[in-house]
Amino acid sequence: MERNVQQHGLVNLVAAVMMFIAAFVVTAYAGSLAGQAASIFLGLGMLVAFVSWFQMRLEENERLEKLEVEELARTRGETALFATKGAEVFPAQRAREQFEKFFVPGFSGLLLLLEGGATWLLWRWLSESTGGLTPDRAMPAMALFGIFALLLFLVGRFSVTMARLENHRLLRPGASFLLAGAYVCFVTALGIGITGVKTELSRLDSWVARAGCVLLGLLAVEMLVTLLLEIYRPRVKGRVARPLYDSRIVGLLAQPEGLFTTALQALDYQFGFKVSETWFFQLLRKSLLVLFLAQLAALLLSTCVVIIEPGEQGVLEHFGRLAAGRPVLEPGAHLKWPWPADEVRRYRTGQIQTFNVGFTPDAQSEAEPTVLWSVVHTKEVNFLVGNPAAATITNSTAGSGDRLKVVSVGLIDISIPVQFQITNVLDWAYHNADPTNLLQELATRAVVHYLAGADLNAVLSQSRVEAARQLEQRIQADANRHQLGVKILFVGVQDLHPPVAVAGDYEKVIGATQQKIALTNAAVAEAIQTNAQAGAQAFADISQAEAGRQQTELAASARAGLFTNQIAAYDAAPSVYGQRAYFHMFPAATANARKYILLVTNTYNVLQFDLEDKIRDDLLNLNVPSTNSP
Amino acid sequence: MKRNLITLITGAVLIVIFALLLFVFQVRQSEVAVVTTFGKITRVADPGAHLKWPWPIQRVYKFDERTQNFQDKFSENLTADSITLLTSVYVGWRISDPSEFLNSFKDGSVFSAQSQIESMLTSAKSAVVGNHPLADFVNADPNQLEFDQIQAQIEQALQSELHTNSYGIQIEFLGIQQLGLPESVTQAVFDRMKSERNILISRAQNEGQAEAIKIRANADRQANETLADAQAEATRIEGEGVAEAAKTLPVFQKDPGLANFLLSIDAIKQALNQRSTLFFDDRIPPFDLFHGALTNVPGH
Repeated sequence: MERNVQQHGLVNLVAAVMMFIAAFVVTAYAGSLAGQAASIFLGLGMLVAFVSWFQMRLEENERLEKLEVEELARTRGETALFATKGAEVFPAQRAREQFEKFFVPGFSGLLLLLEGGATWLLWRWLSESTGGLTPDRAMPAMALFGIFALLLFLVGRFSVTMARLENHRLLRPGASFLLAGAYVCFVTALGIGITGVKTELSRLDSWVARAGCVLLGLLAVEMLVTLLLEIYRPRVKGRVARPLYDSRIVGLLAQPEGLFTTALQALDYQFGFKVSETWFFQLLRKSLLVLFLAQLAALLLSTCVVIIEPGEQGVLEHFGRLAAGRPVLEPGAHLKWPWPADEVRRYRTGQIQTFNVGFTPDAQSEAEPTVLWSVVHTKEVNFLVGNPAAATITNSTAGSGDRLKVVSVGLIDISIPVQFQITNVLDWAYHNADPTNLLQELATRAVVHYLAGADLNAVLSQSRVEAARQLEQRIQADANRHQLGVKILFVGVQDLHPPVAVAGDYEKVIGATQQKIALTNAAVAEAIQTNAQAGAQAFADISQAEAGRQQTELAASARAGLFTNQIAAYDAAPSVYGQRAYFHMFPAATANARKYILLVTNTYNVLQFDLEDKIRDDLLNLNVPSTNSP
Repeated sequence: MKRNLITLITGAVLIVIFALLLFVFQVRQSEVAVVTTFGKITRVADPGAHLKWPWPIQRVYKFDERTQNFQDKFSENLTADSITLLTSVYVGWRISDPSEFLNSFKDGSVFSAQSQIESMLTSAKSAVVGNHPLADFVNADPNQLEFDQIQAQIEQALQSELHTNSYGIQIEFLGIQQLGLPESVTQAVFDRMKSERNILISRAQNEGQAEAIKIRANADRQANETLADAQAEATRIEGEGVAEAAKTLPVFQKDPGLANFLLSIDAIKQALNQRSTLFFDDRIPPFDLFHGALTNVPGH
């Protein structure tokens, strides 16, 4: 019987080694991330199976040793000798004790390090890894992992059942790992299969790998806790302890029904009667496998119906070829053969799709209410554009032809959203591996080509509409030539401006132009004022001259009339008329004049007046010479 | 017993399914497959379901038969006029001979093929770019642009290189995806664009001032002309007045002495109109009335 345990342990070990190597090879072949995690798990199982098998051998040796000693004692009758010197005469027992005392904790510690290290390294590698499952190899890898799962399940299930027998406890760690390994391989096969078939679930393989990482991490934590508790565990002589490396999590994973049974026992205790023995629970227990299979069948049957949503078209492939008669499925429900015989690939043919040329939209910048040339509002690309104005400038200032060519290049930022619709789904799906990317490349090329042969100033000002029209024509022609099966609906030159670095200078030009107009306007205003004033002044001068002329004429006429009369008066009294005229004139003429009358008779005294100083109004201020002076 | 039977049947069905997956392979409409037996190419499979021996006896290499495209690096090359130009090219290629493709690249790696094409493309692009001046790439005159010719030359160079070595690859199309200038040159172009703007700014500002000066000068000229005309007209009018007034002069000729006497009186009247200071002695009428009234001559 004991020999059988060893053999089972050896079978477990061989199975674990083979499955580990096979899983490792298949993982490397397919490049599966989930396979990496599964391989590590199987590798740990292999170590556990090896150690448990070795421990079985030690226990078997101890048992044989005891039998031999008992046989010797029985034949010689010297049992006392062996009773006193047990350590010396029971080397196998001592070896087993030493093994359990030192090697098992050491191995458990090593297992902890391996589990923890594998978790950390695998998680880090998964975060940094850019590779992944090779789609072509997904199907063989899935099949092989499925076969590994079945083989491990058969061996593991048998060993787990055997481990329940008395004295077979050491079978349990390896058997649990094998059975849990079967489930891990099954999940891995599912992950690989779905990843290989459904391109939209290409990350599933990585997610399964991360789940495997979490499992390894849990095992490491469990092992750490177990080792800590082992220090304080009460040692009762004769009581067989559970091996340290026998993981309860792995056991639970391998036999989830144990959890189910425990729950049922709790229910029994709670309700006070055997709930677990009711017909419903018995039926559930018996039909669990059938229910599971029915679920699988329903899942498979569900792949016989495909519903194409509005705005979509489906391409039906029968064993990889286009289905004869109905390669394109319109919106609605359709029947088809189950997976993997028939597969439907959906395309958004009704939907208007958009991509951008020349810029990458930035959500934060797009929220801004104002878009300025001089402020970065999207991630933009500088396009080269012809610049004849610059060439003209340089032509007159530089003699080098090379320089002329250099400066004839300008840079411009342009934002062009392109909208398109798939009009021929078969062309779209089967002529180009990446039609979306190709269409973007064609559109970008059309923009680059157009701008390379355009005039910077013309593009910036009046050619926008013409540019959009030409670009739409060019992109459509390119798309037709490459059989993309699309219709270009809209090409909009929505943003066209000089690069942000020079946009401010373009705005300054506009400011300077406005200043020029302002200066001119001010001068015009002044000119108007000047001309108006001059006109007015001219009018005034002429008017004044007219008045003067009239006055002169009238005055002359009047004077002539007056003189005619004066002659008559003069002739009447020539001597009196003159005096009278004089005396009439004198008071009036000298009314405002300051008058000094010199009445002195001494002509030999000369009076000097300093007329530069203020002349006093009062004659008393004059220094009149006294009468006594000579 | 019944439960074991179900388990066995389930297990058997699963094994059959998994085994079937190992013996059958599908080739999609867009694919072509090459089957190798112990490493030797034995057949090329078209779209559909096919049987095969499981690995490692037979291996199936599936290739996408559609046109695949990629964009090379935005790399710097020297043009014929010694200007550094950044170019990026997109290439569409297709596996024309799957067997040759598999022989040429390990495990038929599309990535390796793409790398191979890219290295050849880099070489072809450098050669072609070096044969053209910048004006062939960018030119405000579209008639002088040689964009399409440059693309055709790069494609031809790449195609001939691939044909020479039989890679099982066909180049379907090639196009210039992007043109650019190195960062330092870009900055220089920005500086130049700014300088052009400065010219325009200076032109606008100075033209504005010049225009203002011209307008003012013109206005001044017009004003002066107007005033000069007006003054001339005024003078002419004054002259007419004087001429008209002169017609009365014969009246005064009847008694020139009286006329001059009266003109003198008027002249004195106007001359003394402003504030003035007059000194009179006792000989001037009417002050001659004071004659002899006061004297300081001794003994007089």
